Amino acid sequence: MSDILETISTAVIEGDVDEMVDLTEDALDEGLSAQEILDNGLMAGMDYVGVEFKAGNMFVPEVLRSAKAMQTAMDILKPLLVESGAPMVGKVLLATVKGDLHDIGKNLVGMMCEGAGFEVKDIGKDIEPEAFVAAVKEFEPDVVGMSALLTTTMRMMGHTIKALEEAGLRDRVKVMIGGAPVTQAFADEIGADGYASNAATAADLAKTFVSAA
Amino acid sequence: MQVRKTNYLVNATPTLQVLTEDEIEAIYFSALRVLSETGVRVYEPEGVELAYSHGAIVENADEKSSLVKIPSWMVDRARATLPHRVTVVGPPDRNGKRNYVMDLFKNQIYYGTGSDTPFTLDPYTGERRRATYKDVKNFAKLAQALPNIDFFMSLGITQDTAVGTYDRWQYLAMLEGTNKPINITAVDIEGLKDQLEMAYIRLGGKTEWKKGPAFSLYIEPVSPLSHSEEVVQKLLFCCDNDIPFVYTPCPLAGATAPCTLAGTAVQALTESLFGIVLSQLRKPGAQVIIGGLMSNMDMKTSVYCYGSPEMALLSAAYTDITKWLGVPEYETAGCSDTKLFDEQALMEATFNITTAGLIGGNMIHDVGYIEQGLTSCPEMLVASNEIIDRVKRILRGIPVTDDTVALDVMDEVGPGGHYLAHDHTYNRFKTEIWRPTLTDRRDYNDWTKAGSKTYQERVHERMIELLEADVEPLMDEAMFKELHRICELADERHKDEELDVQMFV
Repeated sequence: MSDILETISTAVIEGDVDEMVDLTEDALDEGLSAQEILDNGLMAGMDYVGVEFKAGNMFVPEVLRSAKAMQTAMDILKPLLVESGAPMVGKVLLATVKGDLHDIGKNLVGMMCEGAGFEVKDIGKDIEPEAFVAAVKEFEPDVVGMSALLTTTMRMMGHTIKALEEAGLRDRVKVMIGGAPVTQAFADEIGADGYASNAATAADLAKTFVSAA
Repeated sequence: MQVRKTNYLVNATPTLQVLTEDEIEAIYFSALRVLSETGVRVYEPEGVELAYSHGAIVENADEKSSLVKIPSWMVDRARATLPHRVTVVGPPDRNGKRNYVMDLFKNQIYYGTGSDTPFTLDPYTGERRRATYKDVKNFAKLAQALPNIDFFMSLGITQDTAVGTYDRWQYLAMLEGTNKPINITAVDIEGLKDQLEMAYIRLGGKTEWKKGPAFSLYIEPVSPLSHSEEVVQKLLFCCDNDIPFVYTPCPLAGATAPCTLAGTAVQALTESLFGIVLSQLRKPGAQVIIGGLMSNMDMKTSVYCYGSPEMALLSAAYTDITKWLGVPEYETAGCSDTKLFDEQALMEATFNITTAGLIGGNMIHDVGYIEQGLTSCPEMLVASNEIIDRVKRILRGIPVTDDTVALDVMDEVGPGGHYLAHDHTYNRFKTEIWRPTLTDRRDYNDWTKAGSKTYQERVHERMIELLEADVEPLMDEAMFKELHRICELADERHKDEELDVQMFV
């Protein structure tokens, strides 16, 4: 690995947001491709962060800082990646379902997914099934993530999946759900593709969805 | 009577203080700044209009909500009519007597359970599963039997009933098991109306309710600084119908509130103050209890900690603030992040029960919670009853009087004598020396002869014994049927909203 890629990887691990723009531009100036910087610099750093987080050696705020560092570089790399036609990791659409304003878990999932290289579209909280349908049409995500904190609003996840079915969109996306009262059994009952009990697991789940596709 | 002693100060109870008056004021005035400068987001037009028409600044409206900024003088005005004392009285026994009173004001403590956990540990198998009507009734029965549990909240969401109307069934299950004061939850305004109707029936009329409301309502604004449509509607309905309510945000330091505990306290107070202002605008004298449930996010697992030292410390600090404000407080204790009834459960419950008792938080809820409030545990409830008992002994302090220093007795017994058979011992040992009910103090031989049981085993056995005890039904068949009918009618009205799948398998 070249020195600059190693420096980028370390900057991601250390969450050195301020250095990312300069480092990314330096790497491009050295003639490295956007894809190389992404794969061997940014993702190498994030992979290390993921391992350390699971081992209990890194903590949520540190992981989010690393993800932010990566995003800072991605803002520069994204247009170049699109130009070169390189495949992106994938797109994730997220929201808290109708009737529920609790969104801290969903926000965390969004940041974790960004850290995993996904393009994330967060359409907010208290989101009606119809708004999910419209957003899926517009954003064309690979994965739709839904969250609810209450047993009463959990039902809305089922209604949202039904709305996706009725709009003929269900086959185009993988649906993952989460939230304190949600279980794998509930996910199975309402026909979701997966359930994650925490944000890091959700990002892993999203990755398995796109790698299987 | 000859007086000799002067300038004698008594410390009748040990005291705990987390914040000084200066620190409390700093937090309070910071909250006033947040309320007037940052503002809160309100998702209910009627609430926005009520605040606006009385002087609030409303800006930044979108289709669902508005940013509402409350000038500090509105808070001053609200505080002028805010009750310092709120009382909830349980329903009558078969003789028409209402025996259980929760009288909330400064430095009064009442311990009670927590509400609406999706899961419970089965009392017999220990299996973690969805809570049912039967579980709620069982927990209510335990709470009824445990002398240190003063009020009840549904330790489990009834999930074998319809999801959109579970609240009525849950209330019925609670009423079957206990006639202690209850802090209910409601799905929505209609659920609240139905439960109020049920309470009127249970009490024998609206006048009885006015003499002493039989429940308070749990209302939870969403941190940070958001007051949902349903939350504001519930608040307004409570004001209109003389229902005391708990207005408690659940901010999470580092996630939905500042990471610094002082910042979390400021935000929580801001959130509750908005509820206070709105309630006193709607009805001066409306009965509000403010919370009390604030903790930190665990930065490894991202869970809401119920057993952390920060939770106990923040809740205690908040009690200091509410004492200064003169508003009853909703404290938190008897809860843990453990997954089963183990050492962690007892350690965490002991810490937060003790802290809550020492600080004098008023309505101390969540006894019986494990797994960050996701699971209820019957053993945790029974063990906490004894932990509370211990704490109450500590709270009785050490009265130092001519009688208790026992100079005469010492003189009489003299060097080398003993006190075992002395009248002074006989007359005072029961009140002076705490006697455990589940804690073991036998010698080794007696303990092994009795089966060498661990504390966990003894608590479990006691719990089963209480659960299986024969008790008289708390209400007659006719009344039960009447209440049952309200639940059925609600199901009928809402049947179309349910999913056509089994939600809780």
